[in-house]
Amino acid sequence: MSPYVYYIATLVVLFFIFCIQTWGLNLQFGTAGILNFTYITFFAIGAYFTGVAMMSRPDSLSNMRYILGLSLPFPIAILIGATAAGVLGLLVGLVALRRLRSDYLAIVTVSVGAIVFDFVNISTWLFNGADGIAGIPYPFNDSMPGGPLDPNTYTFFYLGVAGIFTLVLGIIAFRIYDSPLGRTLRAIREDSDVASAFGKDTYRFRMIAMVVGCVYAGIAGGLLVGFISALNPGGWQAGETFLLYAALLLGGRGNNWGAVLGAFLVPVLFQEATRYLPAIQGHPELIPAIRNMIVGALLIGILWFRPEGILPERKFRIKGIAFTPKRKLAEVAEVE
Amino acid sequence: MSVLALSFGFGLITASVLALAAVGLSLQFGVTNYINFAYGEFLTLGAYLAWTLSHLGLNIYLSAVIATVLMGVFAVLLNQFVLKPFTKKGVPLLFLLVVTFGLSLFLSNMILAIWGPNFKSLDVARETPHAIGPFLFTTSQLAIIAIALVVMGGIHLLLTRTEIGKAMRAMSDNVDLAQVSGIDTDRITSFTWLLSGCLAGLAGIVLVINITSFLPSLGGEFLFVIFAAVILGGVGSPYGAMLGALLIGLATEMSAVLINSAYKNDVAFALLILTLLLRPQGIIRMAGKA
Repeated sequence: MSPYVYYIATLVVLFFIFCIQTWGLNLQFGTAGILNFTYITFFAIGAYFTGVAMMSRPDSLSNMRYILGLSLPFPIAILIGATAAGVLGLLVGLVALRRLRSDYLAIVTVSVGAIVFDFVNISTWLFNGADGIAGIPYPFNDSMPGGPLDPNTYTFFYLGVAGIFTLVLGIIAFRIYDSPLGRTLRAIREDSDVASAFGKDTYRFRMIAMVVGCVYAGIAGGLLVGFISALNPGGWQAGETFLLYAALLLGGRGNNWGAVLGAFLVPVLFQEATRYLPAIQGHPELIPAIRNMIVGALLIGILWFRPEGILPERKFRIKGIAFTPKRKLAEVAEVE
Repeated sequence: MSVLALSFGFGLITASVLALAAVGLSLQFGVTNYINFAYGEFLTLGAYLAWTLSHLGLNIYLSAVIATVLMGVFAVLLNQFVLKPFTKKGVPLLFLLVVTFGLSLFLSNMILAIWGPNFKSLDVARETPHAIGPFLFTTSQLAIIAIALVVMGGIHLLLTRTEIGKAMRAMSDNVDLAQVSGIDTDRITSFTWLLSGCLAGLAGIVLVINITSFLPSLGGEFLFVIFAAVILGGVGSPYGAMLGALLIGLATEMSAVLINSAYKNDVAFALLILTLLLRPQGIIRMAGKA
């Protein structure tokens, strides 16, 4: 088969992983109105814990330092990764979700992201610092009936694994959106006072969205680390979170199909299209920097020109009156 | 000379840098009622502008003054052409925060694209430290403390003695009431951004004078320490920001007596979390900001 087929297969795996991330972010930001400015940290935590749960105990001869080293099979390891991300999400929620204003949660997430990054980088003795971890075993590859697959065939096998995860998490994301839980979250997003007046425990519901969204990030991280078998902290800085926000806002926040479209347009299409631009001599960071500037400008541009995104959130109809969640109840009453 | 006294001295310097930054953030938050997540990049940009000016042959102090003023102008323009249109459009707070978040990505990468990824340092004469009582300060460190004291005094006089300062406090209390009493809220908002930009630029410059070498990630990494100071003192209150800066500055530096100084940022983080859990409105409480 031509190398392009493998290239496309790799891109599809990444696309699946981005879909899971944008769905998780959509649950937090799009559906519940939670501003998590360090979504990528939860992704990284999931990736790290999945990785170290699969690896064997640290080798005393090697310089690589990491915790756990449980030699667990991938399905259990990714559960550990998802749980770790969820627990961190819970802790952040416990500190910040009781606050009334969304600024506070955003401040706490920015601070958590900075401190986790800082802590991992300086704690070389515990987390191997900026070098991260490498040599994570390929999921299921040791237990293949005919012996380990060659890397190319393995890509297709992993495409299937990632596909199953994406399908299941996608179905759950769509179900949540249409469920009473999703409706309550949207009500809280629009007006939390009204939602509490209807007897909804807004804190509990927002916490559910926070934790489930972080679990999505953790699973996506676990899938990525199983695919690329290495992880270093430099790869999960604030820019990666922006990429997901840009994807979700461009595709259409509050719309899970919008999240899919955004995951395809921004992280996959835009990133890949600019990945092979030649590096500038003497300034290797120039192209990535300009790419990030474009993402930042895109984010602001979308919010100015088309804040609802390409695929806007569905409008609900009650008694023949179409109203977007943006319109206030008072306006609807006036029409009636 | 005891280690404790030395670290107390370092704490005073950090507190001075933090106070400049925290007051700038807090004033702007008070008046406009949203957090500027690009504020860390304001510090970075100020430092790089001063670096460039000094490398063009200007005296370091003159460069610092010009860069500070430029940052004020930059903040006003940013508000005029990016943030104000959004607030006029009446976008929800959530979106406005994402806009400032996007700006921080844009600015930090703009700085990276212009100045490159390597360490830069401001050429401040490396003097031998003077022993003042139990403390040990270099001349530039004394200058940093003096600058912070003078600026804090100036801010106090501005807020209490001048028309414009009183108008800022009025807007911070209640924008609608301020507007009906005839305050030109647009003009006051612009002035606040000018002040916020100047303070951020100045804070960035004194920060790099103190730490000697810096990277484009400078301000972004310092941002949450500023948040910790602002929240500990009481969000939206400039005096709270000063108090918070003093406490965070002393706590982070003096913790080095007990733990590895590489973890001093974690101390600021722990104080931020404790404040949010125990007294989220901060030490000086402002109505409607928490």
